Amino acid sequence: MSTIEVEGLSKSFGTIVAVDRLSFKVGAGEILGILGPNGSGKTTTVRILSCLISPSGGRAYVGGFDIQKDPVRVRESVGVLTETPSLYERLSAYENMDFFARAYGISNSDTRIARIKDVLEFFELWNRRSERVGTYSKGMKQKLAIARAIVHSPEILFLDEPTSGLDPKASKDIRDLMERLSRQEKRTLLLCTHNLEDAEKLCSHVMIINKGRSVVMGTTEELRRRIAGQPKLEIKLNETSDKIILATQSIEGVKNVEADKDSGRLIIELDNAETQTPYVVRSVVENGGLIKSVGLLEPSLEEAYLKLVKEEPQ
Amino acid sequence: MKLENALLVYWKDWTEVKRNWQVILPIILVPLLISVFLPVILFVASGYGDSSSTGNLEVLIENLPPNIQAELAGMSVRQVMLYATSLYLFAPFFLIIPIMASSVIASDSFAGEKERKTIEGLLATPLTDSELILGKILVSFVPSMIVTILAFVAYSASVDVLGYGIYGRLLLPNVNWLMLVLGLSPILSLAAIGLTVIVSAKVKGFREAQQISILLILPVLGLLFAQGAGLMILGPVVIIELVVLFTVMDVIVFRIGVSLFQREEMVSKTS
Repeated sequence: MSTIEVEGLSKSFGTIVAVDRLSFKVGAGEILGILGPNGSGKTTTVRILSCLISPSGGRAYVGGFDIQKDPVRVRESVGVLTETPSLYERLSAYENMDFFARAYGISNSDTRIARIKDVLEFFELWNRRSERVGTYSKGMKQKLAIARAIVHSPEILFLDEPTSGLDPKASKDIRDLMERLSRQEKRTLLLCTHNLEDAEKLCSHVMIINKGRSVVMGTTEELRRRIAGQPKLEIKLNETSDKIILATQSIEGVKNVEADKDSGRLIIELDNAETQTPYVVRSVVENGGLIKSVGLLEPSLEEAYLKLVKEEPQ
Repeated sequence: MKLENALLVYWKDWTEVKRNWQVILPIILVPLLISVFLPVILFVASGYGDSSSTGNLEVLIENLPPNIQAELAGMSVRQVMLYATSLYLFAPFFLIIPIMASSVIASDSFAGEKERKTIEGLLATPLTDSELILGKILVSFVPSMIVTILAFVAYSASVDVLGYGIYGRLLLPNVNWLMLVLGLSPILSLAAIGLTVIVSAKVKGFREAQQISILLILPVLGLLFAQGAGLMILGPVVIIELVVLFTVMDVIVFRIGVSLFQREEMVSKTS
């Protein structure tokens, strides 16, 4: 069952179309990554689904509730990490958490205290809970903002750039948390990000949007293959020669050969890298090549993303 | 609407406000200083002026209720002048004090959240429009009323200390002033705060909200001049009429505030 269902969602600000007929579904425990350049409509989409702004057209259901008819129920069932941390700097971390926990309906004080302690300890902020947020570093504020978004244990999380401003360790902690929330606790996550590493490691599905329109959607693997093509074969030699290059080019199924004579590296584009690799290796050896290593270069999501965004008409 | 949710917003905002001495000090000090200095200047200056005539206060005195006029009949010109000024002419100041004291906090209510980019997190919570507005009104109302009551206590003490030697009795508090400070003043300030909070939700920043909210003092200044000119005396009947009028207005302002509250508009004004 889908916990987020979006059909033909649109939003215009005057003559500017910020979101253009978006449709997608996210099932329980899935993570959908929304990728796109600045101003592509990612934040507007999250704002619509969080019932902060109303759509100009289309429909959306979050946690089974219609965003237009049941905005309070939608807000109750989601946790939102906004583009900016949205924290009260004159309040301590604990006071911020307490306010939001109560606002999200955790009225029992024992439950609230235990939950806040649990979340702040996870983010290693419990020992600094009494300090005012204004004294926190950017990374600490980001961690606290995520802690605030999950304090009421929402079924659905909207996270806008969650690892922005975090050091590598904190970024990894956040990724681990998102993975745990999705896989173990079956929470549904919508992740807006520029960080393709995050999307690649975490998302079950990725949607690339540009100018408010969905350009492509699928699993990360599908997108890589569909957009950036097959993996390439990389062969490192003691040294390359024209003979090796010409012999390789003549093999059936070889589409292109790039050679770096200084480093002795060959990058070979094939119709099917997995089946044709042995023939290429044999040809190189037969033509006097001394092979140091052979490997497949998988296209990255970044390559796919950049290619797609570049190809989109401006 | 749940009152506890409105009180939650109140508690959050008040915790923030009380830690900002740049906001708190003028709110407390200015009314207290006015409340002490006004009677001091009045009583001291009256000892040096023309003691044969009540001057510009004649119209005011002529319009005072008959029982007060009867009381004034046996007093000296200085006593009459001090009585009319301290008990009637200055009374509308205590309607201005809560509006002044609340204007900074009320102007900051939503506009400050927009400026500090905290509004999106707040609006994403399940708190309803009514709960948010009521919470924001309360955080301006409670401290402004505390300040007004403290200012009234300081004013009464000053008038009594300075006037005891002249009248041989305590002048304040009396029923009229208690009705004014505890009845009309809160009801009037609620309407002003409500309007300021609406403005704060509509404009982009604190400065715009405060500039517009200052205009709300003008009608109250009108009361001050009306009282000085003897056109309207803030006696018990007038106070009760104004309490009824402004109670209705408070309800109308709150309803207008809720109907005009647009989360989308506020979020778009933070970007």
